[in-house]
Amino acid sequence: MEIRPILSALMRSKVAMILIGLQVALTLAIVCNALFIIGERLERMQRPSGMNEADTFWFGSNGFGQGYDPFTVLRADLALLRQLPGVAAASTTNSVPMIGGGWGTGITLQPKQKTATADTAIYFVDDKGLDAFGTHLVAGRNFKPEEIADLTMGNRLAPVSIIVTQALADKLFPDGDALGKQVHLDEDTPASTIVGIVDRLQQPWMDSRTVEYSTLVPAHMPYGNSTRYLVRTEPGRRDEVMKTVEQKLAESNRSRIIGRIRTVEQTRREAYANDRAMMIILGVVIVALLAITALGIVGMASFWVTQRTKQIGTRRALGATRGAILRYFLTENFLITSGGLVFGTLLAYGFSLWLLTHYQARLLPWYYVPVGCLCLWALGQLAVLGPATRAARVPPAVVTRSV
Amino acid sequence: MLQMKHLSKVYRTHMVETHALRDFSIHVHDGEFVAVTGPSGSGKTTFLNIAGLLEEFSGGEYWLDGVDVRGMGDDARSRLRNEKIGFIFQSFNLIPDLNLFDNVDVPLRYRGFAAAERRKRIEEALARVGLASRMKHYPSELSGGQQQRAAIARALAGSPRLLLADEPTGNLDSLMARGVMELLEDINRQGTTIIMVTHDPELAARAQRNVHIIDGQVTDFDAEPRLRVPTRDDRAALAAV
Repeated sequence: MEIRPILSALMRSKVAMILIGLQVALTLAIVCNALFIIGERLERMQRPSGMNEADTFWFGSNGFGQGYDPFTVLRADLALLRQLPGVAAASTTNSVPMIGGGWGTGITLQPKQKTATADTAIYFVDDKGLDAFGTHLVAGRNFKPEEIADLTMGNRLAPVSIIVTQALADKLFPDGDALGKQVHLDEDTPASTIVGIVDRLQQPWMDSRTVEYSTLVPAHMPYGNSTRYLVRTEPGRRDEVMKTVEQKLAESNRSRIIGRIRTVEQTRREAYANDRAMMIILGVVIVALLAITALGIVGMASFWVTQRTKQIGTRRALGATRGAILRYFLTENFLITSGGLVFGTLLAYGFSLWLLTHYQARLLPWYYVPVGCLCLWALGQLAVLGPATRAARVPPAVVTRSV
Repeated sequence: MLQMKHLSKVYRTHMVETHALRDFSIHVHDGEFVAVTGPSGSGKTTFLNIAGLLEEFSGGEYWLDGVDVRGMGDDARSRLRNEKIGFIFQSFNLIPDLNLFDNVDVPLRYRGFAAAERRKRIEEALARVGLASRMKHYPSELSGGQQQRAAIARALAGSPRLLLADEPTGNLDSLMARGVMELLEDINRQGTTIIMVTHDPELAARAQRNVHIIDGQVTDFDAEPRLRVPTRDDRAALAAV
């Protein structure tokens, strides 16, 4: 291999070499971090909510008439919803995973405990709540109809029974014996007993660090005259039922307005719209950077081939085969790219550290950079292949002709 | 050493055919110093290119050191060129980004010599042309005469059987030209066959034989070697007698 003479020759054309090396370095640093961020976002977007998203929708009912009793209306509405064809389950709920708003509290194990053991979201549901969410009990039991309380905003949060998610149960009782244990949902309130554990039900807030910690409380809990309903349909009948529901509920009570009915799939799309936009932007940046780097290498190599035509002819005259000329340019590119990648590796981890320090991002996993290096080496070799092949075709006779 | 029989070279484009060499025959023996002369466009460079395996020919035969080069593939020609032929060009064609050591090293690397063998040959070749102390210098740091001597060292390092020189003194002043010419004569005396293309009748006269080419054909060829014009060393030797 001609590594030493190639390096020696490159040292006499430092500017072009440094520019391309720098371009490779920046590309490595940005592409690795951008890919990592895309991967993180994708992972985030693919987290299951714990619900049956395909068959479920939700909507709000806002009462305005004189003497409007939200509890009377919600009972009538639930009775109507549950007898509609195609409805598998319906419940009131204060919130739904991914909608971005809801109740939260700190759970303690002792009544006077100053710091919460875990932060949890609260879902107020009735005995059909689990069924409406489509979540699955992994231990214990569902709420009984007689446990469902009518709560208003001023009431203390002290249910006798609660159901928690598996993640929250494990956090509260790492020994795995949460079922039947007592916890406090508010400071200085009577204890609530964990009567059931569901496999998963995410909080309404997607950015929460405790997104898997949710608690279901057996209660009807309207917000003033507003009530939110959650309906799960039989498979494949969601859209059909949504139309019926809007019409039937509007007809059943004229002193309220039915809010926009949204599927959970729509809710997911809206919840992750920013993540999707970020992924697209980063994807475009990655493609653009790779294209610019590849074009830069093609441009530089093409220029060097043109500039060195006579030199290539001289090498051919002195005995270089076409393969030797091809190898020369591939090796030269490999060396420049390698230099850039060494600097780029430092930049990539430095950039990741900066993101960690300033934006609490996760540190770039170690394997991103080596994989990125391999990809950029391959890109460099592919980019230089065209000009190198052109160089290999330079006939040795150019050495005796005027160029 | 080199034998061409009824060799022809035709350049074809979709419009015209140009006969650069026609029925071209020449026989250069081992150890000869042959000067090739002729007007511009006569076919001198084409002859040199074909002789140096830089170009293929259209018809006829060409034997180089007993090897029939007809139909030889590009890689085989490159290897044969590297092994048998040394080139000296009018414009030196040293690689500007490499120092003299690395320049002389270029053909040796293609030959596949081990590093120690290459170093030995490079040092010997540069010492032979008087540039042993300039190994780390770049071509731009040398005079024209020194650059041509470096090019000669590069041509000699692989111990070629045939040295092809294309106007080797064309870019040099008379003093430097004389030095280069004397070096070539010295190399020839040590057994290397030299074919030199030149416009300079005075230089041509110093060769053992002259080949004159016009319109791609040999028009004047000294069939037998003649006495070389005495060099400065020869004159000194004669004076001593």
